[in-house]
Amino acid sequence: MGMFSEPVEVIRSADGMPLKLRWQGQEYIIGAEPMRWYERRKWWAEESRAERGHGSNLVDHEIWRVQARLNGQGPLFTFDLSHHLDSERWRMLCIHDAFRARSA
Amino acid sequence: MSFTHLHVSTAFSAHYGVSWPEDLVQAAVADNADALACTDRDGLYGTVKHVKACMDAGIDPVVGVDLAVLEEGAESGRVVVLAHGGIHAAGYRALCRLVSDAHANVGPKSLVGVTLAQLASRTLDPKTLAPVLTVLVGPSSDVGRSMGGRKYQLPRRKFQRWHQQMPAGTMAVEIVTHLSTPGEAMSTAQAVRMLKLAQEFRVPAVLTNAVRYCERDGAATADVLDSARVLSPLADLSGPELRLQPNGQGWLKSGTRMTSLGKEIMRAAGFGAGELAQLLANTEKLTDRCRINPRTDMGWKQPVVPEASVLGIERDPQIELKQRCEAGISRRFPDVTGSRARVVQDRLSQELTVINSLGFASYFLTVAEVSSMITDMGVRAAARGSGASSLVNYLLEISQVDPLRHDLIFERFLSGKRSTLPDIDIDVESAQRHNVYQRVFQRFGAERVSLMSMQNGYRARGAVRDAGLALGMAEEEIGTIAKQLWRFSARDFREAMAEKPELREFAERVEGQRTEAFAPNQQLDLLVDLTERLDRLPRHISMHPCGVILGNGSLLDRTPVQPSGLGLQMSQFDKHDMDPMGMLKLDILGVRMQSAMAYAIREVIRIHPSKAEVTAAGNHPDSGLGNGPDYIQADGRIELNSVPLDDEPTFELIRSTHTLGCFQIESPGQRELIGKMAPREFNDLIIDISLFRPGPMKSNMVKPYLENRHGFAPEVYPHPQLKPALAETHGVTVFHEQVLRTFDVMTGCGLAQADEYRRMLGNEKGEPKMEDEFRTAARARGFALDVVDQVWETLKAFGSFGFCKAHGAAFAVPTYQSAWLKAHHPEAFLAGLWEHDPGMYPRRLLVAEARRMGIPILPLDINKSAGEYRVEWVQAPDAVASPHLRTQEKDGVAVPRKLGIRMSLAGVYGLSAAELKRIVAHQPYASLADLRTQARVSRPTMQRLAQLGAFDALHRKAKDETGSTASRADLIAHLQNLPTRGKKSEPIEGQLLLPLGDLELTNLKDKLPEPSAMEKIRTELDLLAMDVSGHLMSSYGPLLTSLGVTTADKLLGLRNNSEVLVAGIRVATQTPPMRGGRRVVFISIDDGTGCVDATFFHEAQEKSGSLLFGTRLLLIRGLTRRTGPRGMSLQALEAWDLSQTDTLPLPVPTKGTELPSESRSQLQGHIPSSNLNPGDPLRGTRRTLAVTGLGG
Repeated sequence: MGMFSEPVEVIRSADGMPLKLRWQGQEYIIGAEPMRWYERRKWWAEESRAERGHGSNLVDHEIWRVQARLNGQGPLFTFDLSHHLDSERWRMLCIHDAFRARSA
Repeated sequence: MSFTHLHVSTAFSAHYGVSWPEDLVQAAVADNADALACTDRDGLYGTVKHVKACMDAGIDPVVGVDLAVLEEGAESGRVVVLAHGGIHAAGYRALCRLVSDAHANVGPKSLVGVTLAQLASRTLDPKTLAPVLTVLVGPSSDVGRSMGGRKYQLPRRKFQRWHQQMPAGTMAVEIVTHLSTPGEAMSTAQAVRMLKLAQEFRVPAVLTNAVRYCERDGAATADVLDSARVLSPLADLSGPELRLQPNGQGWLKSGTRMTSLGKEIMRAAGFGAGELAQLLANTEKLTDRCRINPRTDMGWKQPVVPEASVLGIERDPQIELKQRCEAGISRRFPDVTGSRARVVQDRLSQELTVINSLGFASYFLTVAEVSSMITDMGVRAAARGSGASSLVNYLLEISQVDPLRHDLIFERFLSGKRSTLPDIDIDVESAQRHNVYQRVFQRFGAERVSLMSMQNGYRARGAVRDAGLALGMAEEEIGTIAKQLWRFSARDFREAMAEKPELREFAERVEGQRTEAFAPNQQLDLLVDLTERLDRLPRHISMHPCGVILGNGSLLDRTPVQPSGLGLQMSQFDKHDMDPMGMLKLDILGVRMQSAMAYAIREVIRIHPSKAEVTAAGNHPDSGLGNGPDYIQADGRIELNSVPLDDEPTFELIRSTHTLGCFQIESPGQRELIGKMAPREFNDLIIDISLFRPGPMKSNMVKPYLENRHGFAPEVYPHPQLKPALAETHGVTVFHEQVLRTFDVMTGCGLAQADEYRRMLGNEKGEPKMEDEFRTAARARGFALDVVDQVWETLKAFGSFGFCKAHGAAFAVPTYQSAWLKAHHPEAFLAGLWEHDPGMYPRRLLVAEARRMGIPILPLDINKSAGEYRVEWVQAPDAVASPHLRTQEKDGVAVPRKLGIRMSLAGVYGLSAAELKRIVAHQPYASLADLRTQARVSRPTMQRLAQLGAFDALHRKAKDETGSTASRADLIAHLQNLPTRGKKSEPIEGQLLLPLGDLELTNLKDKLPEPSAMEKIRTELDLLAMDVSGHLMSSYGPLLTSLGVTTADKLLGLRNNSEVLVAGIRVATQTPPMRGGRRVVFISIDDGTGCVDATFFHEAQEKSGSLLFGTRLLLIRGLTRRTGPRGMSLQALEAWDLSQTDTLPLPVPTKGTELPSESRSQLQGHIPSSNLNPGDPLRGTRRTLAVTGLGG
């Protein structure tokens, strides 16, 4: 299982469900229903500020586990993505299957 | 559609909830909710605030509690219990009782919680057996907790047990998802499994979000509270076994979000829209069942007082009250006739009409009952507060102030315009307060009485400590930061860092960490943010210092109770909850001065056991029959409350400003004010006390008052019609009563309405409208516009913070009484002060005061000292001719004797209460061995007693008998060198000691010199926190002489504005609020001849720097400032630390002397350096704080 923290682009449906990922110049099409949860962060070690009224993303981050195929074909890969709610930015957290990133 | 949150912790869930009830209600209303629950942990701490917020917002309150369930003495899980509403209090009553049950578990760990059986037994109404509570079994219950690891049978079995034990219709399953990591606690998967259990057992399931904060932002605060609750850093709690909330999803989510959460659960469960609709419908159904009607379910705003039968009254309370008041007239006004009598009668019927119309007759009878119960206990009691405005209170002996004589207005206390229960506060002897509480419980029964609680919220210091703990910072580091936080709220920490000089260094450190590229430790910024987050959040409840709730037999149906530190039950409601809940609260406050005065009176009677002796000793006036005054009884007991309020020696003492120890008038600022004011009568004391308040001081009311009083400036009245109201304070508005009269004169509104107007002053909402009404009415009555303008300005400025004259009058009574005791029986009075320590100063300052007054301070003596500070006759040395010298007839010969005060054994450091009891029980002692055997005194205590000279008398006797010349030091050395186990030398118990004298003392070898005076003083400061044998400044004599220091007793003889140096030990530091906002520091020092009060303005503060707050021994240069005929204070220019000899401004030899060069070495050549540099006698002493009163 590989660990990453790289930006990734996620295209979502109108009701917020991820449809596609663009990562490392490749496009992956979601092929199964994604799962979402909120995972705790060790904010006291990772952040330097926790101002009152500015802490909505401090304690947890949204994690999506999606299964997708490269260009909609071939085997399903399982990706964990983190979603930053305020900035709408997504990052790749890990890839579960024996996937060798081409950049690696 | 609207969604109701049924599981919500407010901030009143200590160390758990984050948001205030008002904010939660606002958020719910913003989401169109029409109801909201408050389910605080362990109690109904936030319930009343929640209900009030719901009523204000127009939604229905739901009330409940989040309780631990106990199994085999441990917490197996937590459940939410909701009270059913609209059933005439049956649900709320069961909830109160259940919560009280949860706190009544006594055991080694005394956990708060209930067993399943207890819980089940409260869910049905005992009479109708109808369900009155609903228990929500959810993710935190034993069922939810046992779901980890995909276990299936265990949770099912646990649920089955709930299902079997709970009566039908009293249980629901709580479905929660915080969308945590799949499979973990509070995950959707867990919610699904709970839902399936509900379905299997056909128990309704409801959806909640187990809310701890209003918005997402609160999640971080909740983490810090979790850390503070379990006293572990966040890092330790987030390990593999997570002990924090799984994530930050416990906020008050909108109905839309809750519906989509429900949808997500259904999808994961494989259910559809039908099941979702059912879940939401169940939630609404339960909500409807639990909508509380505050009035019918909780008795909202319906005052409840003890049943007349408990008071021993059989007839109508109104008639009883009237008759008791009329009986009071003949007691309080025995000689009043004619028009005066009519005034009394009119006032009485006016008050009774209002009292009866409000239905408060029983209330007054209750207070009178408590008051007379206290008096019957022989405990001093005095009413304080606006209750003194009432003639009824005076006639019932609740209050000692005659409202007619002092022109106090009843409407300020109670009027038909308000229906809240009035406050009557009773001050009792502090030492008797707990006994009084016990008696109230006995008298009225524990089902009718409870102590009131108070909420203790985070302040800056506690907040920074817990924030630091959460971040895992070192305790010493946090301690250092915490010490620098003074007098600002935690919320403004960052702001304070920018402004306060004492935080400058810390601010720089924070800044430094931020700019370092790779800050090794970035926590300081976080520390500030987290501290601000904790501000004001409740930490725990404790017993309120004076509130006692009195109700009828239903009290425990209306408030849950828990044990207090005293063991007596304490309500979970605080003072803000009393009025909404219709609870009658009596403030029974322990006042040390009352104890001190009671003690003084007992000492007077012990030393002078007859009326004649007391009269002679106190120089009291004769009643004309050669028999002393009426207020002294035959056995010598002084009836302090009967002492006339016009005693001239008392006012002389007050005017002399030697008022250390007197109630309310001993602070430097007050001594300056009484010096300027020179009070001549009791009313002056009322004015003095009322003027010395932040409001009048800040708005500079004092100066015009004094100028008018002394005739330096003409009195000014805005209109002649206002003169009667304002004449007693020479045209300056000081009292609330004057504000009321002004309103009445100007508008004709009546005094009751005038008090409503007064309450609107300073109120943003009410004031503008009221100003219009005032102006219109005043103009209509023909007052000119400029008069109206002028009066309005005064009212606006003074009205909101002026002082109630009734308060002032009630305070002035103990002020006068304490001054009276000091003037007539100073020895007994000082002994009382030492015994009960009521004042602002350290005890040692009163030693200096005794010395100034020529009262001998008698050293500790193992045979003469008791467990109290005792007044004692001593032979007057010829040299002393003090005003308190008394002669006593002895065998027909006048022997000069005087009274001194013997030090108490109770003041000795480290002497245990048990040792003290044994020592006193077996006095006197013939020898040290006798003391050891009979009183079993420990070795360290023996040594300390020797060090303090408590054996000197025994030792002297032994020396006289044998001619031994050993010193106190030899004795101390001997006691230190004794073998640890002295068993051999002790006789077997029961064996009589032979009267051989003290062989131990007579055999002491003469090796060491007697300790020096300074050593003795040091020991006394160390072990007694008082310098008894001499003043600690005495060692500075040579240095002070060479500095040219002026002593306190000489200041008064100097011209105004003379530049002087003074030196002494700090006894008080104050930074009172000042006009213009610039800080002024008052420092009082004592030099053995008296007190010098020095004022440091801005420039002097700058010059003195860190010496201002940190130094114990001070040298101050300043200008004398005459404050009155008998008062002189100092305007400080600069200060030095007296113990830093090398920094002191020693005089440069003046021209003409033969010493041309640098001064210091020359001067030190003249004075032996050991004399010049005595060092700080306080350095290393154990009890510096008690000696100097220097906090922090």
